[in-house]
Amino acid sequence: MENNLAYTEPSAAGMSKPAGWKRFFRQLVQQRALVVMSVPFVVWLFVFKYLPLWGWTIAFQDYKPAKGFWDQKWVGFQHFEFLFGDERFLRVLRNTLVMSSLNLVLGFVTAITLALLLNEVRQLVFKRVVQTISYLPHFISWVVAAGIIQAVLATDGIVNDLLMWLGLLDDEVLFLGVGHWFWGIFGASIVWKDLGWNTIVYLAAMTMIDPAQYEAAEMDGAGRFKKMWHITLPGIKPVIIVLLIMNVGYLLESGFEPQYLLGNGMNIDYSENLDIFVLKYGINMGNFSLSVAASMFKTVVSFILLFAANHIAKRLGEARLY
Amino acid sequence: MAKKKWFASMIALIMALSMIVTACSGKKEAAESSGEQPASTGTAGSNTGEQPPDKVTFRIFNGVAGEKDVNTNETTIGKMLEDQTGVNFKIEHLVGDLNTKIGTMVAANEYPDVIIPDAGINQLLDAGAFIDLTDLIEKYGPNIKRVYEPYFNLMKAEDGGIYFLPFSTVVNGYIPDPNINQGAFWVQRRVLEWAGYPKINKVDDYFKLIEDFIKAHPNENLTGFVTLTHDWRFFATTNVPNHLAGYPNDGEVMVDMQTHEAKIYAGTDYEKRWFKLLNEINAKGLFDKSSFVDNYDQYIAKLTSHKVLGFFDYGWQIGSAQNALRDAAKTDPSQDGYRYFPLPVTFDGGKDQYLDPPGFVNNRGFGITVSAKDPVRIIQFVDNLLKEENQILVKWGVEGETYLKDENGRMYRTQEMIDKMNQKFLEDYGFTVFDWDWPQYGTNSTLADGNAASPGLQPEVFQLSLTEADKKILSAYGVKTYAEMFAPPDNRPWFPAWGIQKEQGSPPQIFEARKTELQRKYIPELVLSDPAKFEDVWTKYTTELNKLDIAGYQQWYTERIKEVVAKAQGK
Repeated sequence: MENNLAYTEPSAAGMSKPAGWKRFFRQLVQQRALVVMSVPFVVWLFVFKYLPLWGWTIAFQDYKPAKGFWDQKWVGFQHFEFLFGDERFLRVLRNTLVMSSLNLVLGFVTAITLALLLNEVRQLVFKRVVQTISYLPHFISWVVAAGIIQAVLATDGIVNDLLMWLGLLDDEVLFLGVGHWFWGIFGASIVWKDLGWNTIVYLAAMTMIDPAQYEAAEMDGAGRFKKMWHITLPGIKPVIIVLLIMNVGYLLESGFEPQYLLGNGMNIDYSENLDIFVLKYGINMGNFSLSVAASMFKTVVSFILLFAANHIAKRLGEARLY
Repeated sequence: MAKKKWFASMIALIMALSMIVTACSGKKEAAESSGEQPASTGTAGSNTGEQPPDKVTFRIFNGVAGEKDVNTNETTIGKMLEDQTGVNFKIEHLVGDLNTKIGTMVAANEYPDVIIPDAGINQLLDAGAFIDLTDLIEKYGPNIKRVYEPYFNLMKAEDGGIYFLPFSTVVNGYIPDPNINQGAFWVQRRVLEWAGYPKINKVDDYFKLIEDFIKAHPNENLTGFVTLTHDWRFFATTNVPNHLAGYPNDGEVMVDMQTHEAKIYAGTDYEKRWFKLLNEINAKGLFDKSSFVDNYDQYIAKLTSHKVLGFFDYGWQIGSAQNALRDAAKTDPSQDGYRYFPLPVTFDGGKDQYLDPPGFVNNRGFGITVSAKDPVRIIQFVDNLLKEENQILVKWGVEGETYLKDENGRMYRTQEMIDKMNQKFLEDYGFTVFDWDWPQYGTNSTLADGNAASPGLQPEVFQLSLTEADKKILSAYGVKTYAEMFAPPDNRPWFPAWGIQKEQGSPPQIFEARKTELQRKYIPELVLSDPAKFEDVWTKYTTELNKLDIAGYQQWYTERIKEVVAKAQGK
């Protein structure tokens, strides 16, 4: 194999375009084992990720499920007009962006902080206990988690009782009934739920850092915080950036369950996001076309965001997706 | 190299083989199921003779949540029906959200044999999920015809087909329900007893009574009034002004008796008056603020907590709470005071219309889907079910076991029979399985011999079901049944207006979604805000509401109602 490669290399170097094709096919034949192995995955990708794109046609139809493709009524951009023309669309979009940004920023800052702190813990038993406790909420389904949050924040819940006992409140407060508090409650809930889980990948990245670097820093007189700042953080920077780029692509996905389960009429101005809007006016009314139109919009925006983030990372000379 | 080649070709071979195998097995299944069909139809056609029909199980999806999934032949009644027809139904109830569930079925174009879609029926009709039953009824359904023929005009879809069988037919004479399954203002019995059974028919008196009672019992941590707002049950909060104004539950509209003009009551002075009242109640600390965040289970739990004095709701929504309280009072009569008593409350004590007029609900029903393996067997089962003797079986049970007949042919139940009929017995026997969700003699029907079709409506049974405490409170008000507390319903041929079908995603449907959304947002604010700010909130709410196409919605409803009236008169 090695010999073959070495043999083709010089001949390829001096060739013009058609020879480039020749070289391509020659390499294809040489690497046939690899190519054959990748075929099932390419097929899978095509069948499950590209074929469904055909369904985007639904967005331009007045789609009725039981009818065949050619019996559908075509309506052009009507569903997009309904979506973008709705006065609530801007509000819903704002909520989506705010909540996913909250998710992004809080998720990153808290998880990295906790990972840094855990990395410094020398008492192994304590570290494991903290990790296990902080992972646990991740495994509770949102339905149950929302139940817990509702119970805690209820008028006869622990938060109200505590604040009343401390004399900070005169009368019980309906926490979930105050619209502009919703984002705060949402932020706190997701931090509580996913903090521990999010640290895993950073902790893993930290184990990859060469211990020699720490030793060298120690020799130079670096303290704990200096080591964190100058070695641990730069060491996991590539991971942080790749994760950031990927998450920016999901900026229009602010989650569905927490908003749906914790939302109610009183906080709807702050809790209703794009997904819930689509559920209400799309799926619940059998208007699949509107749902598809909204998901097309989301895909396009996500695409732009992903490319932009990757491009910026490239410009800054950082690690990137591709 | 040779080894590698061998490996690669092996993999290729295995993949190819597995593909062939799956393809073949798929075909085989299809062939089997299609082969099955003509065979069973053949036997079904010939089973009019004494030959016992071969057994078959159909799947039913029932869009109502919170009931047990059963095979009908596991119940006593279901077993008898299986012996007659050979048909068993495997009933699956809703878990989660109805529209999502039905949407998924529609998207996959794959359905159980029968669907009872509750509120999700339009989506299925739109998708063409139900088959037209006209010919099947003509061929196999003499009893279906007998029960439903008077309603055929109303049941026909625009294309003239009949796609589902509704439940609220009245066969023979009409018998009113002695219990209150419909809307009412409820109050704890101990409150009435404490006040010496006053006559309450004004909403101001109602709240005054509750307020006085709480003042007299300051240390009991009592709640004056709660309201149900969870999910689709939100109408228990929004419908109230309509009832207080003296109209029955027509949904979102009040329909004029003479002109048949439909008008919404959201944003009217009626609504303002009601929420202003609640606002005052809240300012006095009598209202339970969590009403606006509680879910249905929490609400029911509150009703059984003994702490809630009053609420407005429909009887059928609070059945589980009432049963729990009744059972507790049966074992310990001192708990009777915690049960709730219905009151016919209106704004000014005028004539109430809480009781449903005889009506025909045309957007709930039992439909056979396009995926059904054998519609003929299903329709034959339904026809058999609608025979008079089988209607007696599913509603009254077996003579000697669950009912008796006196020398005049009047059917009744003994105290002993009534006592043994707890929830478990009803489930095992099959009464709960066959109660509302099947083609049937509607609740208010009578049998050919004059007995009530539903035991609960038979006066003899109702009187026996009353406890001493029940009799005491009823006689204090000089009535024999709960229904007598209320004014008899006026005749409204279009009733209920909410039963008129709206197309998926049509303007009236979008209007309702938007209107409800506004109400969800503003009603809590109206009720919970500082009384001084009430006017501001009200102005904001009505400005938002008036941006919607109210006129178009009312016009749509008025037209539909006039159509129904014409159809009903033209039959």
